[in-house]
Amino acid sequence: MPRTTSLGESMRKAKLLALCTSCALAACAGDGSGLDENGRPEGESSGTLQPNFQSIQDNVFTPVCTGCHAGAAAPLGLRLDEGASYALLVNAPSVEVPSLQRVQPSNPDASYLIQKLEGTAAVGARMPLNQPALPAETIAVIRQWITDGASNNTGTGAGGSGKSRFELVELTAVSPARDEIVPGPVRDVVVASNVELDATLLQSSVIELRASGGDGTFDSGNERAVPVDATVRSDRPSVLAITPRLAPLSADSYELRISGTDPVAMADLQARPIDGDGDGAPGGDFVLRFTVEMTQ
Amino acid sequence: MRSATVLRNICALVALVLVSSLHIAQAEPYFAVREGLKCASCHFNPAGGGMRNAFGNGWAQSALPARRIEGTGTDAWTGVLNSFVALGGNLRANATYTDVPDAAATSEFELEEMRAYLAISAVPDRLAVYIDQRIAPGGSQNLEAFARYTTKDQRWNVQAGQFYLPYGWRLEDDDAYIRQVTGINFATPDRGVQVGYESAQWSAQLAVSNGTASGPEPDQGKQVSLRAEHIQNVWRFGAGFNNNHTDAGDRQMQGVFAGVRTGPIAWLAEADYLTDETLGPVERKQWVGLIEANWLVGKGQNLKLTAEVFEPDTDVDEDEQNRYSLVWEYVPFQFMQLRVGARIYDGIPQNDLQNRKIYFAQVNGFF
Repeated sequence: MPRTTSLGESMRKAKLLALCTSCALAACAGDGSGLDENGRPEGESSGTLQPNFQSIQDNVFTPVCTGCHAGAAAPLGLRLDEGASYALLVNAPSVEVPSLQRVQPSNPDASYLIQKLEGTAAVGARMPLNQPALPAETIAVIRQWITDGASNNTGTGAGGSGKSRFELVELTAVSPARDEIVPGPVRDVVVASNVELDATLLQSSVIELRASGGDGTFDSGNERAVPVDATVRSDRPSVLAITPRLAPLSADSYELRISGTDPVAMADLQARPIDGDGDGAPGGDFVLRFTVEMTQ
Repeated sequence: MRSATVLRNICALVALVLVSSLHIAQAEPYFAVREGLKCASCHFNPAGGGMRNAFGNGWAQSALPARRIEGTGTDAWTGVLNSFVALGGNLRANATYTDVPDAAATSEFELEEMRAYLAISAVPDRLAVYIDQRIAPGGSQNLEAFARYTTKDQRWNVQAGQFYLPYGWRLEDDDAYIRQVTGINFATPDRGVQVGYESAQWSAQLAVSNGTASGPEPDQGKQVSLRAEHIQNVWRFGAGFNNNHTDAGDRQMQGVFAGVRTGPIAWLAEADYLTDETLGPVERKQWVGLIEANWLVGKGQNLKLTAEVFEPDTDVDEDEQNRYSLVWEYVPFQFMQLRVGARIYDGIPQNDLQNRKIYFAQVNGFF
């Protein structure tokens, strides 16, 4: 067993200890000359936090939040990885306080995201969990983005706005992802498009959600239809939330089908039907299958 | 009669500590360096962290604390319920005072974590499933869940599922640069397969995983992580390698780590060099380093002094960051650790967060 020491010897060793460890890594901190607040050379703008979604994603959500908030088991179903975060934040109800939206455009004080970052939320701990709170300047930038309308400027993927006249209308499964196994209960299924969809079509029967009946297949005749409501969380681009009307989805396999073929097809504002089957041509149903497993 | 039973239990624990060398241990790597043991001597996990085995629990009751207290019963906790089932847990509660320049200081009490461990050995010492579940605060979150097969000679093992990746020193402090910057820490377990090798003086693990920190796998790229350590009684030396291949670019790191005991001081050191193609249009090269001295002030008392350095981009001057920590750790009695400390961040002056000071007190209950 290691031995202990007398007081005098201990003091000498303490001094030596402090001297050694302090000097061993004698490299001093940088004086920051020529750098911005992120430690990047001035003029290299990509690293500076700006009040737009892409910048917040790159500088806050991805490096700080996705350590936990990513993947099928993301806490409370909130993924903040690029491609999912916008659809799951803006106009999306909070799970902890359903009366509040995670991000309510133009209203940062009522946005649950801000309450969690500032530590004023009624439920749960301040975020980032077990880490220092974000600097006030960072939260101020996020507030500014929300005040400005919480628009999406990423230009790609789910929530992308890079619309051209000839591009296809494509849907992306945000949460759950395609063929994903997710912990239940699932409160909504979120799908995003790359362009603005015609929300009036949601009134018809273009969206169908079925449970497999427990056998994981959808052709055995024991499937059951799950009544749903569809809401538009954002317009440009469209983020659709398909919510079970009666109760959250429990353990089973599910198939979501959004029609891209006649007689009624989901389409954009120019009446171009979605390329649901991904064959590079307009038309075809968008089919998303996933499985819900109960953890308890 | 009762005192004789208690004495017999204590003797059994001490004997267990003295004779057991079948497992690996490491909640804090300096324990292993101080005792000249491998990480797996005290933990179910070959690379340390998570549930303690019977030896680890015995050591925590006999050698670690300043004194031992007795309960109303006579049994001593080993975590091993029977040949097939073992349990464990950790709870950390903090009081933290954070001082960020140009901002109002904050102070808070917080429950950092409550974790529960369960290992079921369907075939003792050969085949087991293991779960490390964070159950508070907030919702339950799985950290590790894997099945492990061990060869009869206990040298080779294979595990599959979700687990902490092997690389460098597995410090308890996830905010240490060598844990935070490398991205391999207790917050980032990953899903894959790991092969391990254990002998008297060697411990090695090779893991292939998704490279997504348990998130969804968006591409075909995989992460390879390797850790190899040579252990002697007084010193040890190891090396690590990690490559994460993604559609966004490759991230690779390699490093060396070492530990040595000089009298009452257990030293740890690690240096890592990273190349990252995912941080910008050009590859970024980074360094992180750590030197830690753990001085055994007295039985149950440790004074930890840590100096760290982080070079965020070797192509950019004057952006270096340092972090210094002084932590007093006291184990007044078994299964209870008190920690009081300060962490001083020293970075570029235009970033307040890089120059914050954190003072904390922590209660760590474990079993």
